[in-house]
Amino acid sequence: MSTPKPLRKLDDLLDSRLMAKLDSVDVVSRKIFSGKMQGERRSKRRGQSVEFADFRPYVHGDDLRFVDWNIFGRLDRLFLKMFLEEEDLSLIIAVDTSASMRVGSPDTFDYARRVAMALAYIGLVNQHRVSLVGFAADKIERASNMRGRRKAAEIAQWLLKLEPEGGSGFEPAMRLVGTSRQGKGVMVVLSDFLFPEGFEKGLSMVAGRGFDLFALQVLAPQVVDPSREGGISGDLLLVDSETGVETEVTVTPELLKIYKERLDRLCGGLRAYCARRDIVHMVVESSTPVETLMLEYLRRRGLLR
Amino acid sequence: MTLASHPAAILAVTQLIAVAWITPVAGAILGASILAPLIALWFLKLRRKRRVVSSTLLWTRSLADLRANAPFQRIRFSWLLLLQILAVLAIAFAVAQPEAEGLGSAGGRHVLMIDRSASMNTVEKTDDAGKALDEPRTRLALAKDAAKARVRELLGGGWFSSRASDVMIVAFGLRAEIRAPFTDSIASLEAAIDAIEPTDEVTKLGEAIELARAFTTNLNLNDARGEENNTTSGPLPTLELYSDGRIADLGQFALREGEGIVYHRVGRTATNVAIVGISADRPPEQPDRIQVFAALVNPEPVEKKVTLQLAVNSAVRVITPEPITIPAAKDERGSFTPGRAQAVFRPIEQRENAAIEVAIVEDDALRDDDAAIAVVPPARRLSVLLVSGGSFLLRTLLEGLPSERFTTVSLGEYEAMVEGGTAASWDVVVFDGVAPKALPSGRYLSFGPPPPVEGLTAFGSHEGVYPRVVRDEHPLFRSASLDELSISKMVAVQPDKRFMVLAEAPEGPLIVTLDRSDMHLVYVAFDPLDSSWPFRRSFVNFVANAIDHLGRAGDSVIGRTLVPGEAIAMRLPAGSRDAEITLPDQSTKKVVVDNDGNLSWGPVALVGLYRIGFLEPGSTERQERLVAVNIGDANEARIAPRDSLDLGTTTVQGVSVGESRRGALWPWILGLGLLIVLSEWWYYQRQIRA
Repeated sequence: MSTPKPLRKLDDLLDSRLMAKLDSVDVVSRKIFSGKMQGERRSKRRGQSVEFADFRPYVHGDDLRFVDWNIFGRLDRLFLKMFLEEEDLSLIIAVDTSASMRVGSPDTFDYARRVAMALAYIGLVNQHRVSLVGFAADKIERASNMRGRRKAAEIAQWLLKLEPEGGSGFEPAMRLVGTSRQGKGVMVVLSDFLFPEGFEKGLSMVAGRGFDLFALQVLAPQVVDPSREGGISGDLLLVDSETGVETEVTVTPELLKIYKERLDRLCGGLRAYCARRDIVHMVVESSTPVETLMLEYLRRRGLLR
Repeated sequence: MTLASHPAAILAVTQLIAVAWITPVAGAILGASILAPLIALWFLKLRRKRRVVSSTLLWTRSLADLRANAPFQRIRFSWLLLLQILAVLAIAFAVAQPEAEGLGSAGGRHVLMIDRSASMNTVEKTDDAGKALDEPRTRLALAKDAAKARVRELLGGGWFSSRASDVMIVAFGLRAEIRAPFTDSIASLEAAIDAIEPTDEVTKLGEAIELARAFTTNLNLNDARGEENNTTSGPLPTLELYSDGRIADLGQFALREGEGIVYHRVGRTATNVAIVGISADRPPEQPDRIQVFAALVNPEPVEKKVTLQLAVNSAVRVITPEPITIPAAKDERGSFTPGRAQAVFRPIEQRENAAIEVAIVEDDALRDDDAAIAVVPPARRLSVLLVSGGSFLLRTLLEGLPSERFTTVSLGEYEAMVEGGTAASWDVVVFDGVAPKALPSGRYLSFGPPPPVEGLTAFGSHEGVYPRVVRDEHPLFRSASLDELSISKMVAVQPDKRFMVLAEAPEGPLIVTLDRSDMHLVYVAFDPLDSSWPFRRSFVNFVANAIDHLGRAGDSVIGRTLVPGEAIAMRLPAGSRDAEITLPDQSTKKVVVDNDGNLSWGPVALVGLYRIGFLEPGSTERQERLVAVNIGDANEARIAPRDSLDLGTTTVQGVSVGESRRGALWPWILGLGLLIVLSEWWYYQRQIRA
């Protein structure tokens, strides 16, 4: 397995070619939320935007700028044009920064950061309120309420500073996000979901609390199929990247079969759990090109359009 | 009762748990040769490449640890290793072929002593665990089976066995016999065991033990002091006793130092009632009848009721109208007293040479002691001496009566015989009109002058008297009536209370008898020639009755009864021939009679009636003598097997033959080993699939 090339700058996270393609992509929420600021997101509320919604008779005190004068000319009556008010969308991207993410080729953590950068860029371009959360055991880092394209560099720097280490800390991080008053909107969790304590409690903290939740399970190809090139074989002393627990294995077809059965069980369990709680679950191999993921898979799954 | 509170129970358990090994070396070699490499394999370390993975959650610990390419690692606890060690140990133990020590270890010398006494004829319907047997079997049969199984255990050897045993078979009852000397031949030992026949003898272990010791103790004849030194050249043999433990002489010996004994307890049943004695007597008022008495014992701690029957020559004559109650036995502070009862039958009329049997009608576990036989001996031919003053009448009469010997002597000759001591050899002495100076011990019939006996006083004579029988039921007057008898002259006598007057005249006693322990006398106080008696048949009958009565006076009504283990010894008429003995099972044996008529046969083994038939010299009619053999032992009647034997200061706990037949333990241990191997395989599969 070759040592991954370290990410050092924004371009390493998101190249300009992909950036250009993402300019025309927006985040889609299956739910409509009321935002805090005027943004580019259609809101339930009528307000100021270019998108016409309805007419209503003028009443005293209405803003005369929204009177439809053409109708007044034809009917000699004052009608007020109603527009859908466009509000901002809260996009929360949670990136697993536990040590278990620093495996595989391509590196799972780097891949997760690239996806996070791409999603954040989409959010920034579309004037959404973008927040990022990096979580590991006893370590939760946040970059909150960033908006506008110019914040892309800042987010990139924030992502580049993250270093995977320690255990997962998934549950505390999700509790923090779930209890945050700003925590409504679309939330994307980028993790391998290989939590010794399980994912259920963590997801339950954010599921059903107003989040349109997407669980992107990022796995290295060698994790999905250890027999692949660069995977494991022979007599090994496996060291758990998070706990340091050592496990002696002699890789045999029987053992690999059992491993895959257990992985399927884990992913199937996560998928079933998400389906029950209206969470979109998606397994992504880190070998999948980010562009393909963003422009095809996530569009197909309804996160982007 | 807890186990701890019972030392004997602890001893039994210890004996059962203790294990002896037939092939320990083979087991040790196998165990060491497998165990050491096995553990060494677990020490070997598998060189592994270190590899960091995101999580080991999905990986199971590989169990393919048997491949090693680098020595060494610190051994770690593993259930697999533990199971593998246990499996190897179990297989090694099985190869060592363990046996329970309580049965005596294989190898060495073993003396199997099989009790064949009466109590071993007890019929068992269940085994020691209480499970019904296919068919009822005697304890002896069970003991023989167990002994044969033991022989096969001891001599059957096993894989890799090099330790041969020598086994000797001793059968014992009242006496002990070596049925097979020390040998390792299973066939000859089994044949010897099969040949052991049941007996009704009492149980005496002492002779068997002495016999076994005699065969196993070597005298050191090279001892410089010339003293006997009972040191043995090798280890003492193991004595293995197959018995119910009812041994009469148990307290009379102790085990020697280094001597071991295994008590194979046989039997379970305790239900038994026995007749331990039979006797007969003639009631004074009915001297021609026999009254039979029987003694019964009940060794059980509950009261028993039994019905008895009395048979004469196999024909039932009397059955007790009401059951006879035998009280319960008492066992207090180690002192055992069986319940006892006496049965008395109403007198029966019975002539000689008959077998009288008293039997218990109800069934119990030991039938051999449920009957007792008494034999009424045949009429004995008597020797008669006539001391006469020259009268022809009595001489002629006595010559005509059947007798073994008859001689007529004068008074002087008789007194010379008395002085010479030869007079006592005559059964009956008849005084015809004479009276000796003194009358020694003996049996006498006297006519006329009163004999010199204390208590009989003569004081003159009477003439012309007519007698009257006072006791006409007396056997002397059987077919001998004195009616219409006239006596011209009689001696006037005055007997004291020791005499019994049988006939009298108004003037005084005419015929009196005296029955003392040393003397039996019938005195007729007149000379027959002074009466009309010689012309009457009653005179002949009276004399014959008197001779017969006196001849048997003081004799037992029944003959001596033998006990199993004794020999039949009797004297037949000289020159008797073609003698044979018919046993209780109706089989016959030829017996030799010497010229003097002496016969000896035995010892008798079984109870019952033995018939000795023979031909008298010059006769073609077979004569018969009967001999009764009864157990008559209350100890043998107590058939409940002993749990333990107290031999001196040693208590030997019994091991039931059911338990002792469990045999070798190795199949169980081997099975356990296989079970552990299966468990190890299951655990391995579970590990790699978890």
